[in-house]
Amino acid sequence: MAMRSIASRLALWVLVGATLVVVAGGALLFRLVSQEILEHAHRESGALANDVGNRIQARLDKITDTAQMLAALVGPRPDDAQPLIHDAMQHNPDLAGLAAAYIPQSKAARASGQSPFVSRLDDGSLISRDLLQDPSPYWNRSWFRTGLTCVDGCWQPSFVSQSRHLRLVNYSSAIMVGGQAVGVVNADVTLEWLQGVLKGLNKPPGMEAFVIDQQGTYLANDDPGRIGRQAAPTLLDALEHGDIAPVRLTSRTEKPMWVYHAPIQGTHWQFGLAVPETRIYAGVRRAFLGALGVGALALLILAILMFAITRRIMKPLGVLTERAEQVARGALEFALPAVRQRDEIGRLTHAFDRMRRELAEHLAELTRTAREQQRLASELEIAHQIQTALLPGAHYLDARCSNFELHAVLLPARSVGGDLYSYFMLDDRRFYIMVGDVSDKGIPAALFMARAITLAKALAPRARSPERLLQLLNQELCRNNDGCMFVSLLCALLDTVSGNLVMASAGHEPPVLWGNDAPRLLEFDTGAALGLDEEATYPVQRLQLRPGETLLMYTDGITEAMDSALQMYGQERMLACLAGQEEAGDADPASLLVADVERFAAGHGQADDITVLALRWHHAGPERSASMLNLTITASIENVFDTLGRCDNALRSAGIESGVREDVRLVLEELMVNMVQHGYREPHDGKITLHLTMAEDAILIELHHDGQPFDPLQSPEPALSGDIADYEQEGGFGIHLVRVMASDFNYTHDGQGNHLQLRFIYPQRPEQDHDIQPAH
Amino acid sequence: MTFSLRIDSSSPQRSTLHLHGRLDAMTFGEFDEVATPMLHGMAEESTVVLDLSSLEYISSAGLRSIAKIRKSMRTRHGHTLLLNPQPQVRKVFDIVKAVPLNEVFSSVAELDDYLDRIQRKIVDGTDDDD
Repeated sequence: MAMRSIASRLALWVLVGATLVVVAGGALLFRLVSQEILEHAHRESGALANDVGNRIQARLDKITDTAQMLAALVGPRPDDAQPLIHDAMQHNPDLAGLAAAYIPQSKAARASGQSPFVSRLDDGSLISRDLLQDPSPYWNRSWFRTGLTCVDGCWQPSFVSQSRHLRLVNYSSAIMVGGQAVGVVNADVTLEWLQGVLKGLNKPPGMEAFVIDQQGTYLANDDPGRIGRQAAPTLLDALEHGDIAPVRLTSRTEKPMWVYHAPIQGTHWQFGLAVPETRIYAGVRRAFLGALGVGALALLILAILMFAITRRIMKPLGVLTERAEQVARGALEFALPAVRQRDEIGRLTHAFDRMRRELAEHLAELTRTAREQQRLASELEIAHQIQTALLPGAHYLDARCSNFELHAVLLPARSVGGDLYSYFMLDDRRFYIMVGDVSDKGIPAALFMARAITLAKALAPRARSPERLLQLLNQELCRNNDGCMFVSLLCALLDTVSGNLVMASAGHEPPVLWGNDAPRLLEFDTGAALGLDEEATYPVQRLQLRPGETLLMYTDGITEAMDSALQMYGQERMLACLAGQEEAGDADPASLLVADVERFAAGHGQADDITVLALRWHHAGPERSASMLNLTITASIENVFDTLGRCDNALRSAGIESGVREDVRLVLEELMVNMVQHGYREPHDGKITLHLTMAEDAILIELHHDGQPFDPLQSPEPALSGDIADYEQEGGFGIHLVRVMASDFNYTHDGQGNHLQLRFIYPQRPEQDHDIQPAH
Repeated sequence: MTFSLRIDSSSPQRSTLHLHGRLDAMTFGEFDEVATPMLHGMAEESTVVLDLSSLEYISSAGLRSIAKIRKSMRTRHGHTLLLNPQPQVRKVFDIVKAVPLNEVFSSVAELDDYLDRIQRKIVDGTDDDD
């Protein structure tokens, strides 16, 4: 946990780094300084050794001088030997004993008569004796023999005096008489003083001073136990080979030590100082350890300070971190740490504050947008409902005579779309069907669609024919159409009794017809899409539906549906799908087709609105509604009357009462005579077609002629005064009669000429039976 | 024969035309052909009676022929009276309001009665019809 804080990590690493630097620097410094220290120690200790050597030498010089002088004195005067020796003993306390030993039987010995020896007792008193009287002859002793050879005097090896229990060394100087050694002056020297000299040295503690003789025996040593013992061979070796340079001694058992030595002049002795190496460095090491300790303490304090300062600096960061976590949870209202300095933390805090504020604004904006979108979505939903309400139901069954059935499907790609279909009864008999596709998608298209569909319904009664309806609709839609939107529309008017279908298309896909034959496209000329060209006209296409036939109208949402490989559904697939449905029987072809398209486009999704409207002609009316007459005649009065006669006969054989028959006859005569007499500007082989069908309660007649346009409905009603003799002009009665007598009357005109549709309602059959008049 | 005409022209004061069959665009010429010369022979203030008992059918062409007769008689200050029109014919007359109702009679007796009254009016010095 502690290491997760930047402050503690920073402090730790600073501590580690500083420690490394201090230790490494200290080690380097120690190495450099220790060399200096060593050299310094060498100089000091070497000087001390020399000094001590000289001091010992000075002391020894007194003894050697005494001995030599005595030797010189007693040589010529052997009889003075004993007092001289005694005196010398009294004056030099270093002497433990002094002897003048002559070679026995020698001339000097005889002259002296004795070999005097004065020694000092433990209490300091002197006693004398004659060595010649000693039970053991001294002249065989080695000190004597060696002494005889020491013309200039020499120091003998140390020995332990049995009588005095002291370690002594003796200095021998030969007594020369006439160039001949006749005896030896022998001075026994106690080594107590030598030990005292060592003790009196003002030397640093830990140093060990010693004096060693030529045999390697300790004559004196700070460790009294070693006196008389042989020095270690390594030491001896070092002393022998080295000059006076300091010698470093190492051994397995002891710590390394430095030995400083100086020869004592006049002897073969050496003075030495042994200093353990640790002792030399002890001071500096202590100093360094102290420094290190202080340094460590300083570093620790530094680290703690560092930790505290970093923590203090980083504290706002911690707060910011918590706030950022809060932001992540969505809470934006909180206090930020006060900015103390314009450093990175201060800037970060400012930036954080700004970020928080802007985030809040952004969130508010987002919320507003979301609310707006929600509102839009609900409005779209309402728009969708309204648009759906504009469309008639998806299924329509001609309930009155079951002649046809209609299925429609409209699937907008979005909530609202630009596709439309509509159907409605224009009057008792004729039925409008239309399918359209507005150029765009979405809301603009939906509004345009609403305009188109409403206008279509409003204009239909005035237009009375598909081509006229398209024309009027086009003019209306062209008005103020700055957006240049347009709608393709296929409009059909079905005669619900005869199955006669009149179609006009404004740039729409051709419908499909099937039933008796395989599905095929009904290609025919179309006009411009509605809303583009005010002058556009729309050719008309007529079609007689036969029982079992289905006419399918659709929008390009079907043919241009794409699958995941971006292949279009196309007309071939549509025709194939419809052909496959033929076996399916009475099922709803529109839904089946749409389902097939949806399966096809499942991978790609619906890109465009889809509309399908299928009109199936059942022709399920009574038998009598079958076509009774279908005549085409050349326009002439004779033919007209011939036709009137045939109509009359047909109606009579159908059991139509004479009153109705005469009405029909009158109307037909008026219309056809009018066509013959006024329909053609010049003699012309005009054609008049008459189509007579019977419905359950009405006679339906269609008249077509290829003459000049003339709408009987538009001719003015004659002013009926009550007397036909009043009229200047004799025309006008006929049309008036027609209008009054026909139960229903409709006129259209197109490229093929004038088309009139008439309907005569007659009483129901049961009554008819009684009213039938006998045939004439 | 869809149309035939019989003229019972007893005097220049009164002629009766008996129409049979259908008077339409096909037959009105036939009718005119016979009726026009007869009208020329009619005297001032004379009366033409059209007996429609056997007329089955009339169309606007036939109406025009009847209108011509009426106009012609009007110029002579005469009368054109219709006798016993059949339902279809009557219906057509009604639709175009072809003749004043008081000039249509359903039987010969009514017609004679009417003619007597006219006669009396003339004798009494009361002029013209209403």
